[in-house]
Amino acid sequence: MTSKILNADDGIIVVKNLTKQFVNHTGTITVLDNISIAIEKGKTTVIIGPSGCGKTVFIKHLIVLERPTEGEIYLKGGRIDHLSESQLEKVRMQFGFCFQMGALFDSMTVFENIIFPLHQHQKKIRDWKAVDQLVKDKLSMVGLDGYQNYLPASLSGGQKKRVALARAIALNPEVILYDEPTTGLDPIRSDIINELIIKMKNELNVTSVVVTHDMNSAYKIADRIVMFHEGRIIADGDAEYIRKHPHEVVQQFIHGRVSENDLAALKLGGTKFKAQYLPEDFKS
Amino acid sequence: MLEEIGERTIESITTLGKFGRFAKDAAITSLFSLFSGRSFTLTINQMNLIGVKSVPVVMVTGAFVGMVLAIQAYDQLAGMGIEEHLGVLINISVVKELGPVLAAVMLAGRVGGALTAELGTMNVTEQISAVRSMGTDPVKYLVAPRVLACLLLTPILIIYADLMGVIGGYFISVMQLGINARAYWDFSASGVALWDVAVGVIKGFFFGGAIASISCYKGFTCKEGAHGVGQACTEAFVSSFIAILALDFTLAIVSKAIYNSIWPITSIL
Repeated sequence: MTSKILNADDGIIVVKNLTKQFVNHTGTITVLDNISIAIEKGKTTVIIGPSGCGKTVFIKHLIVLERPTEGEIYLKGGRIDHLSESQLEKVRMQFGFCFQMGALFDSMTVFENIIFPLHQHQKKIRDWKAVDQLVKDKLSMVGLDGYQNYLPASLSGGQKKRVALARAIALNPEVILYDEPTTGLDPIRSDIINELIIKMKNELNVTSVVVTHDMNSAYKIADRIVMFHEGRIIADGDAEYIRKHPHEVVQQFIHGRVSENDLAALKLGGTKFKAQYLPEDFKS
Repeated sequence: MLEEIGERTIESITTLGKFGRFAKDAAITSLFSLFSGRSFTLTINQMNLIGVKSVPVVMVTGAFVGMVLAIQAYDQLAGMGIEEHLGVLINISVVKELGPVLAAVMLAGRVGGALTAELGTMNVTEQISAVRSMGTDPVKYLVAPRVLACLLLTPILIIYADLMGVIGGYFISVMQLGINARAYWDFSASGVALWDVAVGVIKGFFFGGAIASISCYKGFTCKEGAHGVGQACTEAFVSSFIAILALDFTLAIVSKAIYNSIWPITSIL
């Protein structure tokens, strides 16, 4: 896919030659290196890769929360990466973004969180009954009807992510972006989130881009899996293609296996007697 | 060594430039928000948190300033037999300098710290990114109401501080030290003009604007983790404090120049 020359109309979102560099006190770090990809409409694209490989930075570029150092981003054929923040307000209404930790506004109730985007984009809410019903519908979709008056602090991690999803779909977006939706959840709650992602796709016909390193989740929800490694795409295809991919890094990642080099570094890093001290070691 | 100095200078100028852009955006957005019904509720909420809840601490600060001035200055004036002049000394110091500056410093601690901590936590928990992702300008939604509340209410809080400073000074001078009340007020009235009170109150607009914009900027640029939020709060207070002192100095020069150009004879006398 990286070698293919993309046109702006190839998918609902098209990313062309995206490079992102950050400058810190140690120098310039290239997080994304010449990424080109077209996200297909109505499909679920899962981005996998080890921590720190640039997945989250990439997904934030799709909604222009980050600006590219080089490259272009198109939404439905129109370039969006160079738009001003005020021009992007309309563009972002077509997206729903589920942040890794939910990013719910903790001074607001669940109800207020969900109506936030409505409140911001409607001149004045006149029909509160319709709004109540809308919030009820959105919360029912994620199985949390009745939690309207709860504060985010009183919800569990999984419930927060589900409320975040309800908020993300409040404006009926065409694209939903999920940043590590199952991270930090137990297997059952992870599966609830997976089912919800599938449900959103089937019932709302949305395009989904999911960043994850949970392979069970990726296999279950993905129409297409793209693997990032050191800021580049090293594999791109359906679940079966990824399972059989010959690249060593892909196989290590999907099977959760540490590489020989990393293992050697761990062995050299210190033994129990050198690295682990107990309180009695400090007694004179 | 030289390299480090150069690096730090570039970093400071870059930060100043970024702050300048942020403050410009905040100022323009706040101006538009003044005429927007949507921002009205948010601004009123912030006014309650920033202004109304600061009234007690600002009043206490003002009262102690007046009382301390009376205690400290009495001996010097009594030694020269002009203790009735204590009123003018206390009241001019309170309304022109100490009331506004100490009230602003108190606000920088109470309000500035809270603003930075709140926005900093929102930043590290991606709540500010969430606001942006839903097509809302975070400066408009989060910064403008806070800037407006600080800008409009700091002068009013300074009036409270002045009032309590005057009462505190009177209480110690007349009730405790036995200065004649009529002489105390007569000298005060002859020495403190409306201009002096106005200068002190006008300073409040500048102090309020500085506190809000610095604190919000520090919150928006806060680094990750508990340490990042703590550091941002400290930096916000220190920067606000220095800005208050620098603004006070600049405004003292400007107000004197304005006064001299409007009333040249009075200033000579």
